[in-house]
Amino acid sequence: MYQYDTIDKEMLADRSAEFRGQVARRLSGELTEDQFKRLRLMNGLYLQLHAYMLRVAIPYGSLNPTQLRKLAWIGRTYDKGYGHFTTRTNLQFHWIKLKDAPDILDHLASVDMHAIQTSGNCIRNTTTDPYAGATAEEVDDPRVWAEAIRQWSTFHPEFTFLPRKFKIAITAAPKDRTAARVHDIGLVLKRARDGALGFEVIVGGGMGRTPHIGPTIREFLPVNRLLSYLEAILRVYNRHGRRDNIYKARIKILVAALGKDEFARQVEAEWAKIGEAVDLPDTELARIRGAFAPLGFETLPERSEAFETAKASTPAFARFARNNVKPHKKSGYGIVEISLKAIGETPGDATSDQMEVVADLAERFGQGDIRVTHEQNLVLPHVKLDDLPAVWAGLEAAGLATPNINLVSDIIACPGLDYCALANARAIPIAQHIAEKFRDQDRAEQVGELKIKISGCINACGHHHVGHIGILGVDKKGEEFYQLTLGGSGAEDAAVGSMLGPALPYEKVADAVDTLVDVYLRERKDGERFLDTFRRTGVAPFKEAVYADAH
Amino acid sequence: MKALTANRLTDGEVVFWKDGAWVERFADAQLWSDDDAQAVEAEAQGKSQGTTVVDVYLIDLVESEGLWAPLSYRERIRALGPTNHPHHGKQAEGGAVIEALQHASGAARSTGRVNLIKRK
Repeated sequence: MYQYDTIDKEMLADRSAEFRGQVARRLSGELTEDQFKRLRLMNGLYLQLHAYMLRVAIPYGSLNPTQLRKLAWIGRTYDKGYGHFTTRTNLQFHWIKLKDAPDILDHLASVDMHAIQTSGNCIRNTTTDPYAGATAEEVDDPRVWAEAIRQWSTFHPEFTFLPRKFKIAITAAPKDRTAARVHDIGLVLKRARDGALGFEVIVGGGMGRTPHIGPTIREFLPVNRLLSYLEAILRVYNRHGRRDNIYKARIKILVAALGKDEFARQVEAEWAKIGEAVDLPDTELARIRGAFAPLGFETLPERSEAFETAKASTPAFARFARNNVKPHKKSGYGIVEISLKAIGETPGDATSDQMEVVADLAERFGQGDIRVTHEQNLVLPHVKLDDLPAVWAGLEAAGLATPNINLVSDIIACPGLDYCALANARAIPIAQHIAEKFRDQDRAEQVGELKIKISGCINACGHHHVGHIGILGVDKKGEEFYQLTLGGSGAEDAAVGSMLGPALPYEKVADAVDTLVDVYLRERKDGERFLDTFRRTGVAPFKEAVYADAH
Repeated sequence: MKALTANRLTDGEVVFWKDGAWVERFADAQLWSDDDAQAVEAEAQGKSQGTTVVDVYLIDLVESEGLWAPLSYRERIRALGPTNHPHHGKQAEGGAVIEALQHASGAARSTGRVNLIKRK
């Protein structure tokens, strides 16, 4: 894992002290709310419905046990004993007091954490594959590049006041676990025939009010030119992105307006002017790469007797292994996904006690490495198969062994109207009701991969546009209604979902999802996922079934 | 009927106006009839208290079980707490007014908040 150096640590200490002064000036009346709001947002502090919310950055979703324990402690000390993991792989505390915020930033800084780049019109936390460094699918470790972007983008003076927020995702595997094509910039690491590494550069994807699947503007960018090329893209966006209309300010609107070819031409022209001066020197790249060097993997046989025996004797463990354990690049190891989607609980929430359990397990069995996924789960990327029964037992005792990764109850949901000042409708209870419908794990496994994503407003924090089933909360004269979309995907086969029909009232949504699943089970052919069946049949049979009552 | 609400600056707590001061429970809030000029006066006074509260606005109320409750769902959630954690927020205290809020139905945004949004 990357270790902060003296410069990083001093920067965090300075930032925290600066914010303490700003809070004091706000409380004394020296700063008005309008003056203070932009300062607190630059430190991830929002005012929501019931309290302040502090969004803590988890750069590229990577945590060590000390950091996770500190988050648990902050949750217990300053919040109500829990935290909420987000689709940007950050962590939100929902019950924060303004007067406590400077102390919390100090505590975060003590473990090299902060709330920088979690709000405002800057380059936000770069996300990457939660299986980085563990999956055999990747051509390189994407964390190296995510860390390079972190260092380049943090407090970048030219890109601190962009027309709008800016999000970058990097994947190095063909199976995209980062939703790269719906980011402002998506980077896909590839290896050319001659062995050279490069990025496919996708620009202008996004969700929100006007969803776009980003076009590729460069098929192969040599990796050592990454930062100058990013700078060229940001510079074109900063110059021409719209500042007159917040709904048209994201880069996706600019790319769509110019057309990808013209946008690419302008980027190339700017890039030629910038030259190589801002690119990462090889020595610095080597230093960063060193921080992600493979840890002490043991040479182990592919088959673990302890693992096989436990699977044979304990059906619940076998189910967990089937759904939550993924193949590791090293024989004798596995990647463990920890679902934060226990049936009936709030998607993405972890109690302080649960965070401590995960930290302990990571320390004992997982090389001290913890990841956050954009689907609001956690990952222990390096666990020996021999240790899986013990890890599972530890998770099970803490209510963290729900065997539902990628299944129907593994739902993304934003905080919605239960917390968020922007929301039009609740998202969490809808997720809870749907999960309850599929409490029977046999049925959930029979349904197979099905990604449901729920947003409480059009800003789409819950990624509803790219849900196999997407659910968007809307406000109809003050009442909660929900617009369903089908056929979206945030993966390598990215697509924006199509509207099913008129919005449904709150109490009808879970039943409608149940109906959609029944139609899929009726219509599916061998090996088809929900998404595949929908793509083959189109919306008609689904629409007919859900709105049958209306006819 | 109307009530005046805001969030307290120091901790973000939802508060309601009562006789020149801010209280935490909706049950204690001062209520005005729709045409009562005192509501608008209180709003102006509240907005001048920038080191005490933020986002001051009037909310519309509706009758529920013989008591008054915020008309809009959003305002009822603010007055109660999040529905996914019944033991979090003001609802944890329970009581007749809390129950009336939980059972209330109404379907409109508060005019005060609409004005607040428009001003931004």
